[in-house]
Amino acid sequence: MISSFLEQYMSTTLQCLKLLDAYLLYILLTRALQLSYCLLLRTFPFNSLLSGFMSCVGSFILAVCLRIEINPQNKGDFQGISPERAFTDFLFASAILHLVVMKLVS
Amino acid sequence: MAVLGSNTILLVALTITVIQALTPSHYLTQRDVERLKSSLSQPFSDLETAFYSIVGLSKLGAQVPDVKQACTFIESNLDANNLDSLFYAAQSSQVLSGCEISISNETKDLLHAAVSEDSSVSQICHAVGALNGFGLPLASQEALSALTARLSKEETVLATIQALQTASYLSQQADLSGIVEEIEDLVARLDDLGGVYLQFEEGLEPTALFVAATYQLSDHVGTEPPFKEDQVIQLVNAIFSKKNFDSLSEAFSVAAASAAFSQNRYHLPVVIVAEGSASVSHQQPVLRLQVTNVMSQPLTHASVTLERAKSSSTKNTVLQQTAFTPAGDGFDLNFMNVKPASGYYDFSIHVEGDSRYIANVVELKVKVSTEVGITNVDLSTVDKDQSIAPKTTRVAYPAKGKGSFTVDSHQNFALSFQLVDVNTGAELTPHQTFVRLHNQKTGQEVVFVAEPDNKNVYKFELDTSERKSEFDSASGTYTLYLIIGDATLENPILWNVADVVIKFPEEDAPSTILSKNLFTPKQEIQHLFREPEKRPPTVVSNTFTALILSPLLLLFILWIRLGANISNFTFAPSTIIFHLGHAAMLGLMYVYWTQLNMFQTLKYLAILGSITFLAGNRMLAYKAVKRTTQ
Repeated sequence: MISSFLEQYMSTTLQCLKLLDAYLLYILLTRALQLSYCLLLRTFPFNSLLSGFMSCVGSFILAVCLRIEINPQNKGDFQGISPERAFTDFLFASAILHLVVMKLVS
Repeated sequence: MAVLGSNTILLVALTITVIQALTPSHYLTQRDVERLKSSLSQPFSDLETAFYSIVGLSKLGAQVPDVKQACTFIESNLDANNLDSLFYAAQSSQVLSGCEISISNETKDLLHAAVSEDSSVSQICHAVGALNGFGLPLASQEALSALTARLSKEETVLATIQALQTASYLSQQADLSGIVEEIEDLVARLDDLGGVYLQFEEGLEPTALFVAATYQLSDHVGTEPPFKEDQVIQLVNAIFSKKNFDSLSEAFSVAAASAAFSQNRYHLPVVIVAEGSASVSHQQPVLRLQVTNVMSQPLTHASVTLERAKSSSTKNTVLQQTAFTPAGDGFDLNFMNVKPASGYYDFSIHVEGDSRYIANVVELKVKVSTEVGITNVDLSTVDKDQSIAPKTTRVAYPAKGKGSFTVDSHQNFALSFQLVDVNTGAELTPHQTFVRLHNQKTGQEVVFVAEPDNKNVYKFELDTSERKSEFDSASGTYTLYLIIGDATLENPILWNVADVVIKFPEEDAPSTILSKNLFTPKQEIQHLFREPEKRPPTVVSNTFTALILSPLLLLFILWIRLGANISNFTFAPSTIIFHLGHAAMLGLMYVYWTQLNMFQTLKYLAILGSITFLAGNRMLAYKAVKRTTQ
């Protein structure tokens, strides 16, 4: 069943979407690793843990938003927001996210 | 403007307490008057100091030592063209007997010309004063109008005081009521300090001059000055609070004020003090009061009555409506005639005889002291289990008990005595009744309090085993002292009653006498800094760092697999700028983490962000166009 899902996924999704999906996967993995680190080794530099975690989560959410907005199949829901606009939003939001995360890390 | 200055406040012994009305807390004692006279008796340096000395001393009732020399001094130093000089000369010569200064016509004209609206109030005052002092005729009405006109322009306190002085030189036919009204305005300008002092913020000298000028004018015009009784006393307190004077003019002003308070027609503040300390006893049964004015001149025509004498503790009235008998400069009352019990009494004293008297009701606290005697002194050793009858020895004061008493842990030591007033036979309960046991060898002493029972018999019991901690269990011979003391006792007692041998059980005897080291330095406290929390070992951290990077690798692999490429990359400037700007923003984030603070970062971010945004906008728009046209 998984293989059929994968096949369908490979064929139907656009390339840019696939790239984005890869990115999402990467973030997810990073987040999982951070969580395991925290569980294993206690939360000494708590703010560092938090900032790293939030960075992952935030990036993930923003990427998901971008993916949703870019997907032509969803074009009906997003009138007036061109993919470029979505991309700009994504960049802007992630810039702010990184700023906050950096503050928290220090 | 040192009001109280550094001088001590001269309080009457045992205080005149303020209950109903204010009474003077400061006045001039005999010593103060002498000191004031001596400060005014300095050799003359110029006409102004001569004026202060001559007139000041006359106000105090004294004279300069050499009248003739003073007169010649005035004549030789007189500057006939100077208004102030003429004023000082005129007033001084008026005071000195047999001193006449001749005045030329030009001087007279000068003086008359000065009395006009164009001169200052001070000049008008001096001119009028000079004319008055030399006995020259003066146009009072003109002077008055000039003064009133000038006064409306100069509103200062000093100018108004000088106007009052000037008015007192003018004839009584002139309508001086306008000037008299200024007194009330000045009274309103006085500052009330704590309800005890009343003075101008300009200082002591203007206040004293004001008082002198007010009474001078009031006596001249015949109207009572608008001072309330309390205000008069507050002025007295303020003016006489300073006993050493900075300048001759200040001393002069105080002398003038004291003369004004002693001799005016309306208000006479009365000072009532007890001579010595207000204490009577059988040896000294008479309470003597001194009733004087503020200059310590006795008011021998007054009649002094004791309104009521109440005991402070029981509030019983002991004596009422008794007159004091005049004796010499003071007034006497033999209080012991009523045979009061020892203690403190509140006397309420009235002084009558003149309607001008102010503060003529005082409350005085008088102490009646007596001598104490100890009777019925019994020393006994009582066995604890009451099996053996107690041995009682009677000791007579002031002898010492014969024989020594031995007390060990099975016995209690008891002492009982009675305290009586030697003169009346009444029982006394003084404040201090102590029993002191002094170890002759070690020098230790232990003090206990003996308490009276309800029959006023003092009892003291010593249970040696109970109290052994206070004695440090040191056995030995102790001398027993009885200490009796009280404020109302003339003969406090320290009496060695007997010697007592106290035996403590041997096992409690201390090996050494512990000296309490209260004054050696204590142990130093080391500050413990908060230990940093344990961090995981570096190895683990590094491992995890490597682990984190692995998904990144995975991402790149996936991207390459999926065919991510940069084939659509056009080398338009906006794209380059956009990518560079974006990279720079990420770099800025890194730098922010390591070095910068938020404000700097925001600044750079704003610059970079706007560049990137603009470039990105163009790039994306271009791409969008490309996409739609494709």
